[in-house]
Amino acid sequence: MWSEAIGLMQRMWQQLLRVIRQFCSPGPGQEQLAPPPGLGRATPLRRLERVLVSSAVLQSLFDMFADHRNGDRGEEETGWVLLGYRREAEAVVLAALPAGTNREAGIAHVRFNTLAQAVATRILRMRDRQLTILGVVHTHPGSLRHPSRGDYEGDSEWVKLLRGKEGVFGIGTVEAEQEDNWLPMVAQPTDNSWSWRGLRFDWYALAAGDRNYRPIPVQVVLGEDLARPFLPVWETLEWHAAGLEELFRRLSGLRIEACSDSDAAGLNSYLSVSIPLEDGQEIRALLHGPKMRFFYDDGEQTYEASGEPPVDRGIFLLLAELARRRELCQASVESEP
Amino acid sequence: MDFRPLNDTERRTLLAALRANAQEDRAILMDRRNTRFVGTAEEVPEEDVINAVKSVPCHY
Repeated sequence: MWSEAIGLMQRMWQQLLRVIRQFCSPGPGQEQLAPPPGLGRATPLRRLERVLVSSAVLQSLFDMFADHRNGDRGEEETGWVLLGYRREAEAVVLAALPAGTNREAGIAHVRFNTLAQAVATRILRMRDRQLTILGVVHTHPGSLRHPSRGDYEGDSEWVKLLRGKEGVFGIGTVEAEQEDNWLPMVAQPTDNSWSWRGLRFDWYALAAGDRNYRPIPVQVVLGEDLARPFLPVWETLEWHAAGLEELFRRLSGLRIEACSDSDAAGLNSYLSVSIPLEDGQEIRALLHGPKMRFFYDDGEQTYEASGEPPVDRGIFLLLAELARRRELCQASVESEP
Repeated sequence: MDFRPLNDTERRTLLAALRANAQEDRAILMDRRNTRFVGTAEEVPEEDVINAVKSVPCHY
């Protein structure tokens, strides 16, 4: 009887030990494969709780909104695509891409020139592959500081394409004349809005499946506007967007930069497209408005080449010509005695 | 050529990065100066981003 009781106690003790080990120790191989903090860990995205806007982006938004209102099409709606980082429960806005001159807009709607914005996104992502689209800011002609019913119809489907299936939406409006409109600093009337010199942006979030937008707190942090170097060449970007998109899709190693020089007429801004080739050779196109010039650098000297628009055709013809000349050179070397 | 054994932390980091690369298509980062492994980046697929930009709906 005693031996049975002792055996039963031993079995119960062993079962208890197994349960304790199961709860306290990692599973097979788990300890070795767990990613260390900060590196290689996939942080799951949660519902957005706040938006951080780079100070330079907020300044750009106010500046471009003011310029737009003073322009020929100031009565129309306008807007911007927001790029930045999407992290856990926050969005960090680091660039605002304008709707463009070729936008389709009126006093009650705006459809962006998204091809130019897509090319600009590719350019910025060449430097930082973590950049993603976070949402959209657009303006309203009156004092409606909330996205409209029509906005919801499009946005509620569109947010399904975004990281975390959630987007950030800003509404730009003009405030009534107030005494402090002249103040040379931004103000934050509410958690989800910023105003400056009579212009105001209110911010909302919308996730897939939501029945309505919800106000989202916005904080301003010191930071860059990554799109700013490209704002002086935005019209040039729009002129050549289709060709540049083709180049991006077909060539790797493409580099596009905004550059400028000054002459008697003033400051000229260009888009520089370069394609590095083997042995230090390079093809380069300079784009300025609808104009374009093509160059070939053989590593020692730069030559201007005649080219044909659009820009992708000009570059592919230049590549074909270089291939033809290389074949001729090889044939002549092989035929030498 | 010098073969240096990885320490425990480096080995764990590399395994995590290889697994993230295989399962989630995340890039393995390399130090340009000495080709040393430095971690993984949480990249966003290019075409997903571009498709979303091109699909921005009309706003009212």
